[in-house]
Amino acid sequence: MKSKKKKSIYKRTDNLVGYVLMAPWLVGFIAMWLIPAVISLYYSFTDFNLLNTPKLIGFANYVRAFTQDETFIQALKVTFLYVFLLVPLRLAFALFVAMLLNKEHKCLGLYRTLYYVPSIIGGSIAVSVVWKQIFGSKGVVMTLLSVFGIEQSTSLLGNPKTALSVIILMGVWQFGSSMLIFLSALKQIPHTLYESAMVDGAKPSYTFWKITLPMLTPTIFFNLILQIINGFRVFTESFVITNGGPLDSTLSYVLYLYRRAFTYFDMGYSCALAWILVAIIAVFTVIIFKTQKNWVYYESED
Amino acid sequence: MKKTWKKLTMLGMAGVMACSLAGCGSGGEKAPAAENTTKAAEVTEGSSAAEKAETSKEPVTIKITWWGGQGRHDYTQKLLDVYTEKHPNIKFEAMPSGWDGYFDKLATQAASGSMPDIVQMDYLYITTYAKNNSLADLQPYIDDGTIDVSNIDENLLNTGKIQDKMAGLVLASSYLSMGYNPDVFAEAGLAEPAGDWSWEDYAEMSKAVHDKTGKYGMTGVPVDDTNIFNYWVRQHGESLFSEDKKSLGYADDAVCSDFIRLWNDQMADGIIPNPDEYASLLTLGQEAGPVVTGGGAMTFEWNNYASKICSVNDKIKMVTPPLAKDSDSKGLWMKPGMFFSVAETSKVKKEAAEFIDWFVNSEEANDIIMAERGTPVSSVIREHMVSSGSLSAQQQAMFEAVEAALPLCGETPDPDPVGMSEVNEAFKNAAYSAFYGQITPEEAAAKFRKDADEILARNNQ
Amino acid sequence: MKKKKLFQAVRFHIGACLIGFLMIYPLIWLLASSFKSNDTMFLDTYSLIPKEWAVAENYASGFAGVGGVKFATFFMNSLIVTVVGTAGCVMTSLLAAYALSRIKFKFSGLWFGCVMLTMMIPPQVMVVPQYIILKKLNLIDTRTALILPWFFGGAFFIFLMVQFFRGIPRELDEAAEIDGCGRIGILFRILVPVVRPAIITSSIFAFYWIWQDFFQPLIFMNSAKKYTIPLALNMYLDPNSYNNYGGLFAMSVISLLPVILFFIIFQRYLVDGIAMDGIKG
Repeated sequence: MKSKKKKSIYKRTDNLVGYVLMAPWLVGFIAMWLIPAVISLYYSFTDFNLLNTPKLIGFANYVRAFTQDETFIQALKVTFLYVFLLVPLRLAFALFVAMLLNKEHKCLGLYRTLYYVPSIIGGSIAVSVVWKQIFGSKGVVMTLLSVFGIEQSTSLLGNPKTALSVIILMGVWQFGSSMLIFLSALKQIPHTLYESAMVDGAKPSYTFWKITLPMLTPTIFFNLILQIINGFRVFTESFVITNGGPLDSTLSYVLYLYRRAFTYFDMGYSCALAWILVAIIAVFTVIIFKTQKNWVYYESED
Repeated sequence: MKKTWKKLTMLGMAGVMACSLAGCGSGGEKAPAAENTTKAAEVTEGSSAAEKAETSKEPVTIKITWWGGQGRHDYTQKLLDVYTEKHPNIKFEAMPSGWDGYFDKLATQAASGSMPDIVQMDYLYITTYAKNNSLADLQPYIDDGTIDVSNIDENLLNTGKIQDKMAGLVLASSYLSMGYNPDVFAEAGLAEPAGDWSWEDYAEMSKAVHDKTGKYGMTGVPVDDTNIFNYWVRQHGESLFSEDKKSLGYADDAVCSDFIRLWNDQMADGIIPNPDEYASLLTLGQEAGPVVTGGGAMTFEWNNYASKICSVNDKIKMVTPPLAKDSDSKGLWMKPGMFFSVAETSKVKKEAAEFIDWFVNSEEANDIIMAERGTPVSSVIREHMVSSGSLSAQQQAMFEAVEAALPLCGETPDPDPVGMSEVNEAFKNAAYSAFYGQITPEEAAAKFRKDADEILARNNQ
Repeated sequence: MKKKKLFQAVRFHIGACLIGFLMIYPLIWLLASSFKSNDTMFLDTYSLIPKEWAVAENYASGFAGVGGVKFATFFMNSLIVTVVGTAGCVMTSLLAAYALSRIKFKFSGLWFGCVMLTMMIPPQVMVVPQYIILKKLNLIDTRTALILPWFFGGAFFIFLMVQFFRGIPRELDEAAEIDGCGRIGILFRILVPVVRPAIITSSIFAFYWIWQDFFQPLIFMNSAKKYTIPLALNMYLDPNSYNNYGGLFAMSVISLLPVILFFIIFQRYLVDGIAMDGIKG
């Protein structure tokens, strides 16, 4: 009774408290996101090369993308392939390693650090050189492959058929951040759950499927959404390592729209491409959100 | 208003004066075209000291931006400091940058009307900026003698001229060359190429190298941009782009398919690397490329190649690219290395122009630059650099080769059209499609024409 | 039994070390290359042992900096921006996530949608309008321009923490309510200890993202003495001239140290959510 009464007091102030807590984010959202977004939406309906005054041309940019631009289709293909191959692989791997590192072992901190390192080296400037050298003809990968009889002259990055798989492989290798999120979620699962299961004599596979996995679903859901969003926006990997080549086989969607904006001085069209991408990502995100009540388990909502 | 203008002019004149007084000798002989210069100079001479004292009271800040590596940033900063020392009223706000992202930032600044006053500009983009009126016309400053261009080759100078405006002053020149490793030629028992060699000689030599040593005859796949193709087209007496820049300039696609077939056939014979191999060679970087390390005989490069890699291998030599046997058309041209442009929005155009003049024409500045930005455009400066003996052997050879290459150069082509980087990409993709065996060279030529015409028409309305 | 356990442990460690080596190989490569002399660096890229040692030269030339600015200055710039930015970012995100997951206020669903939306648009098309806004606010070429955007929180962190908050039973809040705890009290006294792993994870990510951010400093900063490390490293390289790779690699190694150090220190706090055990069970 008492708590109910208190709750009703909170209800009245909820709006105020909510907005006060949201205020810093809201200010930033409006100033640094909403206004720029509206401007870029406006650009998408104009002929704008960054140096001229934008000229309204209606839906011409959108029409051009779907009717005249083969590279747009190619970039879309590459990006879809990337997302659908990378996301399941990376998540599975990340979860596997996180489970492994969640046990009681010595030097776990060391392993955690080792496995996380690829994710931090991924963005540094020297990385393009590093990657090219490692996958280059005198680099370690080709040297190793030649030991197994695969010709040195065949560069995996130089072949339009294999280049994308190298990029995807590298994406899987950078599973560190997903792993970290899984790890912190595993840490949050109460010990008592496992202990009572142990008392009941449950097998490890049973505890995994009945306790660990359900308790992890909010995190899996989070990682899935995030990886899909980031996958569609992949830029650095294909920019830094192959610059879209060979023959546009690694040309990601965002790399293409970046080129349109800044190399080809086609900002209006680039903004149109950006909003097409937003639409695509939004559709996927909404679909996954809709399915979450079927498989995601929230402790706070049972 | 008029008064400030006059003051600015005076200030500029004082700058030029100070410069020549300090013995930086901005061109010993006066320009023949600069009658008005002499007139202006007289005015300044009449009222030297007093004017100078007055102008130095007006502090001016010049924003300047450039791209480059560590070495360039260091000496350019020094250059600005020296200039400020000589002109205490001129301060610089330097915005150094790496090549990556330089033009992204410039475009963003231009879009919001805040371009720096002096901008290091690339040939690839100057037309786009000029056509959108982002760059100031430097012609008035050339006419009034602020910038002395009397020692600059006119063809080269005019590469900065877009739609009758001088959108940028060229800082350095370069031309296509073939870099080669003499050791590999000796190993194959071949004489080294000479400046009068033909494409047939090239084909023979590269084949002989490959047959006798198993090494690459030539280590590049010269389709990453259209420069070498442009050279080829010019040798056929045509130009890459039409007069109005809305389409390709050559009529017969055979010109293009022959070019692609040449490399396609050489690839098939293993004389040049196939795209797979080429991609992995590229990852080695210039300093460890096969020509440098002795794994290949020749490579298409710009003429500063030998001096760039001389710390790794100081034996590499340069020669002008092959000539077309039955054609008098001169394919070679002096390509502008980079420009200094002044923003249209700049409020210190005159001061900026003075600095550019000092940069290009003064021995003092060029003793600091040491040709790092490429072969200086002023013939007087080139002579000075050679005679001062401060150059490396490779640089010395490079300077001398420039004088030898000039007679081989034809008329400089018009500045690249808007959309050039997109055309380059289309050319690369068409040629690679052929190299990967997806289409024939003929189809590649047709594909390139279709794509290029579409790009050019869209960008050059 | 004991033997079997030992065998399992050894197997685990061998496996983990092998994978670990693969994982960290590029970093070792980078480190080894920073010891190699410029001229021999690319001749044997697979080797981790330098043919010609040039440790002192590389690190000295790197620390000497670019364009008259010492590398230490770049380092300090990065450190200030990153530390302040991380703190601001995590705080704002925590407050917003708490509001979105625990408080029912008007349009909260809409705002959560907006949080998600901000993640979807490529930053490349936002940068020109953002530049114009910062210019209007007179913030171009100031540290504030780099820090302020992070103080507005990040969608990634908000979403992450929302997910963690939703994993905490509401009885916890209600029990605290009965004890007379206010909204803010519930957050900091009850919930924060429980979602500590999420906060730590967020801090690790935020630190790394701000540290390595290239595009924003590139566009928003003008003077070399205010550049952050990624911008500075970019200045070491020019594809069209001879490059000081030794110096670049040396400074790349230095620039990775704080991120790795930050991770090593904070990952230790990723320990089990003890607070939870008390209530459940």
